[in-house]
Amino acid sequence: MATTSIIIFALFLCAFGGFVAYDLVTAKRRKEVYRIKSSVTAYLMLLPAVALAFLFILLPILYSLGYAFTDYYLLQPDKINFVFLENFAGIFKEISAKGMLYNAIKNTVTFVIGVVPLQIGLALLLALFVNRPGIGSKIFKVCFFAPVVISLSITAFLWEQILAPGEGGLLNSMLSIFGVPPHDWLRDPATAMPCIIVLSAWQGCGYQMLIFLSGLSNIRKDLYEAASLDGANWWHQFWNVTWVGLRSTVVYILITVFIGACRILTQPMLMTGYMEHTVTLSYYMYNSGYSERLVGESSAVALLMTIFIGGITLIQRRLFREK
Amino acid sequence: MEKVLRDLPNYRPNKAPVKKTVKEIIYHIVGIVLSLAFIMPIMYMIATSTKNESAYAAGVGTLNMFLPDFANLGVAFENYGNVLLNYDIWKYALNSFIYAAIVIVLNILINGLAGYVMAKLTFPGKRLLSFMIIFLIVVPVETSIIPLYSIVKIMLGLKQEMSVLGVILPATISIFNIFLFTQFFQNIPKEYEEAARIDGASTLDVFFKVIMPLSKPILATVAVFCFIGVWNDYLWPSMILPSADDGSWPLLPIQTALISIKSIESITTGEIMASLVITSIPIFVIYVAAQKYIVQGFGTSGLKM
Amino acid sequence: MKRFLTSIISMLLAIVMLFSMVACGDNGDGGNNDTPTVDAEGNTIIKIMFHVDKSSTEGQAYQKRISAFNAAYKDQKIKAQAVFKARSAGASGYETELQNNQLEGTLADIITFDAPNTAAYASSGLLYDISELISAEEQDKFYSLNKYNGKLYGLPIQESSAGFFYNKKIFRDAGIDVSGYTAENPWTMDQFKSVCARLKQFGVTAVDMRIDATKDETAPYLLYPFIYAAGGSFVSDDGFTASGYYNSSETAKGFQFIKDLITSGYTSYAIGATDFFTGKVGMYLSSGWTIPDLDNKYREYFSSRDDWGLLPYPKGVEAASATGSWSYAITNNHHSDKTATLELLKWMTSAESSEAITTATGMIPARKDVVKEYAPGSPEYTLLKQLELSGRERPVTVAYPTFSTTFNQVIFGLENGNVTDLLNSATNTLQDAIDKIKNRG
Repeated sequence: MATTSIIIFALFLCAFGGFVAYDLVTAKRRKEVYRIKSSVTAYLMLLPAVALAFLFILLPILYSLGYAFTDYYLLQPDKINFVFLENFAGIFKEISAKGMLYNAIKNTVTFVIGVVPLQIGLALLLALFVNRPGIGSKIFKVCFFAPVVISLSITAFLWEQILAPGEGGLLNSMLSIFGVPPHDWLRDPATAMPCIIVLSAWQGCGYQMLIFLSGLSNIRKDLYEAASLDGANWWHQFWNVTWVGLRSTVVYILITVFIGACRILTQPMLMTGYMEHTVTLSYYMYNSGYSERLVGESSAVALLMTIFIGGITLIQRRLFREK
Repeated sequence: MEKVLRDLPNYRPNKAPVKKTVKEIIYHIVGIVLSLAFIMPIMYMIATSTKNESAYAAGVGTLNMFLPDFANLGVAFENYGNVLLNYDIWKYALNSFIYAAIVIVLNILINGLAGYVMAKLTFPGKRLLSFMIIFLIVVPVETSIIPLYSIVKIMLGLKQEMSVLGVILPATISIFNIFLFTQFFQNIPKEYEEAARIDGASTLDVFFKVIMPLSKPILATVAVFCFIGVWNDYLWPSMILPSADDGSWPLLPIQTALISIKSIESITTGEIMASLVITSIPIFVIYVAAQKYIVQGFGTSGLKM
Repeated sequence: MKRFLTSIISMLLAIVMLFSMVACGDNGDGGNNDTPTVDAEGNTIIKIMFHVDKSSTEGQAYQKRISAFNAAYKDQKIKAQAVFKARSAGASGYETELQNNQLEGTLADIITFDAPNTAAYASSGLLYDISELISAEEQDKFYSLNKYNGKLYGLPIQESSAGFFYNKKIFRDAGIDVSGYTAENPWTMDQFKSVCARLKQFGVTAVDMRIDATKDETAPYLLYPFIYAAGGSFVSDDGFTASGYYNSSETAKGFQFIKDLITSGYTSYAIGATDFFTGKVGMYLSSGWTIPDLDNKYREYFSSRDDWGLLPYPKGVEAASATGSWSYAITNNHHSDKTATLELLKWMTSAESSEAITTATGMIPARKDVVKEYAPGSPEYTLLKQLELSGRERPVTVAYPTFSTTFNQVIFGLENGNVTDLLNSATNTLQDAIDKIKNRG
């Protein structure tokens, strides 16, 4: 392990050195001036962060992505064979046979498409709602943030009881007042994913609400005054002043919520278990890596997922980059 | 909802005062209803912590699950008393506080320095580093816990008491915090630094004496999220910390200890919830105390991805 | 420029040195030394790793037995050293620890492991074959053994069994007499169904079959005996073939029985987790650990044992009931001399240890010669007798975790799905997983 790590480190340094050299060579063309003293200071100040990040973040990630080309089996850590692209062949076979992985992709996409607008919309509405002076709005702000800090195992347990099937479920017993027959929310493929989307948005939106609030506090008040002097109604004010002012905040939130949503794992794990209609990519990886002990296969999925999320993130950054 | 939105502070108030009062009332009613929807788990936790097993089971699936068992409040005292006296919760809580304190200080120092460099200095390789920051935020980390475990245990050889370092060190580096710091520092006007530079201050001096004092909001933000992270983490510490020997001070943090406590067969749901309520209090106190700064922490940074 | 490069390079060198220093702590006390670990006083150290927290009642019981061992073997200079690695945060932590110990060469001499993992652990070379070391006579004293491919790899710590807890008040009010159904003389599947029918007629939910407990091992553990009772099976004897077993018509019959209970309205996925405990359900399928709950926690509904009882699993073409718990195994670590280790294994699985540990945990002793006197008809008696007469272990296969998830998926899909289709898909998934591990060689 240590030897491999040192080799990886050496490679990392070489690659890094290469980039540094490239930067130096092209400095003139990019009209960039590097001063030696400030560069050295920069690297010295970066040293602790880079060392720790290499050791505890990059190295584990590189290892786990490297496992994608091996048949690493958790119980035989000393017998790892290089299998080249076998894991990826298996992955494509499983996708084309519409196996669990196919469902995992489908559900993850559904989840992302559902949760990103819902969570961002909810966060924005809540932010607009509490963005006013007064003790009431302060208290509401604390309340809306509450699900973010309560551990997911409690909220999942609670939602399970809310969504419980039969008349025993809280939601069902409330709907029965309106004559709606009890429904098995989490077992029905049509409602399970929407339920998970709603509860995830509910759980997470408090955090984005804070970010929106800070974005709102940055919008100059005189813009609103000018707009209302122009006789703009609420919607025009929102669209021309608030929304424009929030632009960079929205982009930031969009990207972070998207990345977080792609990784959804705990909610389906706690709410339904490993089932076709709710399995997600992260859950699939978790199951094949830890339960089935096929670390190699799991890492191959992780690698593909990284490429996929990374690609979309880059596209998003391109699209929303301020002109 | 639209009615509520009309109450934005910037909306020009040109209606009669009576109408305004009505609107205030509607605003607060809507707010209370919404708040209830968000503090459901807290109400559920607190309510359940006052009940015995039968009362809890009877309330499942009805609105009673959110209401304490007022008829039998003695049970509440019993639950909280049992938890506090029997399970050494305060020892584990103290551990968590210590871990969190160390992590917060180191995390701010290490990532703050890195963020400052990324925001203010030019040096070759910077473009690669900023790309890697985004890359590391994007990569899924679910499988990397296996090699991370090997790195901490085998490569660094952090065992027994030393494994405390294995809990603390990985938590001191956070790519996301570097990102936040970078964003925040970029918005601090150059003039502050230049003034200090003219007085002959070194880069480190500038960082500690000029930048840090200007950065209270982001420091509070990072500190609060570090605290929440350390306080709520259970999986990683349970993997690498040895379980307590007789008599000696346990090393486990609170949430890991709670998992063991929850698995004790004779424990009731009420007692479990009582322990969860107790362990949620610090987070809330700290969040409420730092709330003002958190909003500013994100605010002045004009986040850009 | 030159100065810049030199400073960069010297800094990088510093980092490399830092890392290699760190990396020096690498090889620990690993390596491949065959000699036993010996401490300063010349004691042979035997390391044993437990899956529970040291402060738990179970952990304390183990610790006591280890201390007693050390006292008894002081003269022979053998010293046992217990390591506790709580498995409370999930299987991943415990197995990650195991694999790192393997890499480091610090694998304990004896480990505890969950019985269904026997095949996976044994086939990957983690466990030491103890077939020759434990005499046939001694082996006979255990209710179950952890065998794989005909070889013995582990001895159980304790045993568990399950059955149908029933609400005596409801049964009395509905005029149902079940006193004739005992562990020695279990009821048949048809009798089970007719009791369900009468409970339904009486207006209560007949039975909580726990078909909603498909997130973890609960449903597989409680429901697999129905498939054996129907004459079905899951995998071949060598554990490598699922096709033709998991999807056989007998296996289908077992699942069909459970499906019938759903379609007849005797059970459903919608029964709340606490409904039995609040008197809304007639019967509740669960393991022995529900006994203390019913004794202590629900006084308002079950004031004494006059209010509840325990019925055995119903019998089909044969009788089958759930068993299984954690076991001890000697590992294939670098200590090739297993004499002292064997002494510790024998000590921990002795009648005395078995008695001490099960007294602390309230579970069933793994050995037949530990006599616990229970009144006939008492829940404990029913579980013990049932274990003795009809206990069957869960399927032995290297891909047990996949078996467990596919079993859950079949149970999950029973209400709307066709049993044959569900089983075919489960069989394919399981066979795939088995092949993947088998083909590693």
